[in-house]
Amino acid sequence: MRRYTRLYWEFAKSHMKVMMEYRIDFLIGVASVMLEQFASIFFVKVVFDHIEQINGWSFYEILFIYGIAATGRSIHQIFFDNLWTLGWQYIRPGKLDRLLIRPVNPLFHVVADRLHQDGFGQLIIGLIILGTAIPQLDLVWGAAEIAMLVIMIISSGLIFVAINLFFATFSFWMIDSLPIVWAVFNLSDFARYPLTIYHKGIRMFLTWIIPYGFTAFYPAAYFIDKSGYKEFALWTPVAAIVCCVLAYAFWNRGLKAFASTGS
Amino acid sequence: MRKYWQIAKGRMQENTAYSAWYWAGTASAVMRLLIIYFFWQAVYANQTTIQNINLETMLTYIVIAMLLQGFVGGVGNELAENIKDGQVAIELMRPYDMIFKMFAVDIGGKIMYLIQGTIPMLLIAYFFMDISFPKSPETILLFGVSALAGIWIGTFFDFLVGVLAFWTVNVWGVRVLKESLITFFSGALVPITLFPDWLRTITEFLPFQAMVYLPVSIFSGLISGTEAYMALGVQLFWLVSLYVLVRFIWSQAIKQITIFGG
Repeated sequence: MRRYTRLYWEFAKSHMKVMMEYRIDFLIGVASVMLEQFASIFFVKVVFDHIEQINGWSFYEILFIYGIAATGRSIHQIFFDNLWTLGWQYIRPGKLDRLLIRPVNPLFHVVADRLHQDGFGQLIIGLIILGTAIPQLDLVWGAAEIAMLVIMIISSGLIFVAINLFFATFSFWMIDSLPIVWAVFNLSDFARYPLTIYHKGIRMFLTWIIPYGFTAFYPAAYFIDKSGYKEFALWTPVAAIVCCVLAYAFWNRGLKAFASTGS
Repeated sequence: MRKYWQIAKGRMQENTAYSAWYWAGTASAVMRLLIIYFFWQAVYANQTTIQNINLETMLTYIVIAMLLQGFVGGVGNELAENIKDGQVAIELMRPYDMIFKMFAVDIGGKIMYLIQGTIPMLLIAYFFMDISFPKSPETILLFGVSALAGIWIGTFFDFLVGVLAFWTVNVWGVRVLKESLITFFSGALVPITLFPDWLRTITEFLPFQAMVYLPVSIFSGLISGTEAYMALGVQLFWLVSLYVLVRFIWSQAIKQITIFGG
């Protein structure tokens, strides 16, 4: 464990140096992600200029859901973004074979190979959204609530990571599963709005099959009493752990299958 | 037997690599339709109109806008890649106008996208979401012309963004930036008439609304009669201005390559 921490630090240090080398690009990346998020919030704002609530949810409550999703996603985007590239950067050019003979966990190596600058934009905007929404929410904030919020956000991030890892693993069999990863990732757009607006089938799917519901809606529902999901939301951290365990087990299976067909 | 199975498997992998993107794109588009449908249903749950737009017109606008937005991109990414890896120098020596060559490639791609991507989505939306098509042939014709103009304005703009690769290495960032700008100001998410006044005024001076908002408004009936022809006039203005800009910036960029020895 300590060895991995030190290793990660070494990897991260060199990434930082690269980032500072291309400072303008760093800023473009941060700004672009922020603008992207801002565009979708602005959309909700424009709609709410003309109506009071959607399915019983006010503007700031929806903003709160957004904020949790955006902050959670930033964890995934900053630290685990490299999972996207497993197919075309590692498996196709044969770079993964080189990693396999190194004395480090290959998953760790792939993940540590990149620290994504644009994720910082995501983090900033996520915190801004939360900071805007929370004071408007008429909630009592104590140490316990803040701790819970942090746990929820980390869980949200881990679910993003686990789902991406799970579907990226298909690359071991089909060389590059990026289209699948991308299509599944798009499902997370559903989670931006209260799940209660959707058909029951979609709600079930986003809770039990591809649990993006736990990246935003359920964590937010924990803090909003009238949602009726306060107790259910407590399963969020459990869902995150289960997802991670499943995804990692699947990754290990894929790795085995890959090594046995290897050259 | 085993080796032949391997050969068959190789072909299967090759084919899935191509079709996987198609199916992923289709699945994502269907998901977006679902989100749009349920979101707007919920929005209209407590009212019949917003700014005099009813649910049917709104859904029509949003769906057509989403489909049209799929065409307003262009050759920017390819151009940026070409600039990055130096391919552009070789392209420039070939006996054709590189701009037209890239546009031609782009048109081919868009025609395929229309057949494989847009038309199936349009049918799904028509049968399951109750969107309405314009009644009069004049409106359909106007929409056709306006949509083409919008697509070309988007293509020119995309080209201008692609040329930026001469000056920045974060091509991905610039792309996201461009896409957010277009999504934001083109009216692809929501009719511009719903914007607050000050923002609508700004939007009217930008080229983005000519890409999506104007054609889709003609389609869904938000703009009609003389206003529709005026919209075409605005589009024509942007079409010509952006084309001139494309030519100008491109000649500047080429000069730069020649100076640095290419």
